[in-house]
Amino acid sequence: MKVELFYSPGCSACLDRQAELRTAAREAIKDVEWREINVLHSLDHAVELGVITLPSIAIDGEVIFTSLPTVVQFRKALIERNRGGE
Amino acid sequence: MFTIGKLAGLTNVSNDTLRYYEHEGLITPTAKSAAGYRLYDQDSVRRIRFIKHAQRCGFTLAEIRDLLVLRGRDRACCGDIRTRAIEKKLQIENKIRAMRAMSKALDQLIAECANEKKPVKECTIIAALERANHSMPVQ
Repeated sequence: MKVELFYSPGCSACLDRQAELRTAAREAIKDVEWREINVLHSLDHAVELGVITLPSIAIDGEVIFTSLPTVVQFRKALIERNRGGE
Repeated sequence: MFTIGKLAGLTNVSNDTLRYYEHEGLITPTAKSAAGYRLYDQDSVRRIRFIKHAQRCGFTLAEIRDLLVLRGRDRACCGDIRTRAIEKKLQIENKIRAMRAMSKALDQLIAECANEKKPVKECTIIAALERANHSMPVQ
């Protein structure tokens, strides 16, 4: 499973909980591929996925969160999608 | 201090637009004349120029109101404004992408309609649009 967190440098909302979410992803999904993407370095990729607000989180190429979720919400989304993919 | 007419002249914005800005909370008169006319100060001129510039960059009035609030907030930092500018750019890039797709779809329809002298009943563009109608769910 690939998780992409799109952020903008200097955005206080983007930095908030970022580390907690990374840890939650690694704990919830064994083979998670976690990427933190500076949107200015990957604008085309962000546009391709339909990212229009920051921070946003895409799971396996689909934008699931358009703001940072709580750790509980995030873990739930990861586990549900992981079950769906099995 | 300026009356609304003077403010309109200074900023090249109509009186009606200025009243709308006021209704939307984007500008506020700072005083009233003895005759009861609303009066505005130099900060209103700066705010209106800010609004017009932000509109040229694609921001809506609601987004501009948000930017003006951030502009006056001590705890806000440049990063907050920059993030909004990046989000606006993402929205514009998304729209450009959607419009390119529309333009491409039109190219195809135009290319398929090789004979413009045909009666409208045989028009391939009309036929293609009708076919698209059948295959798309009704919204």
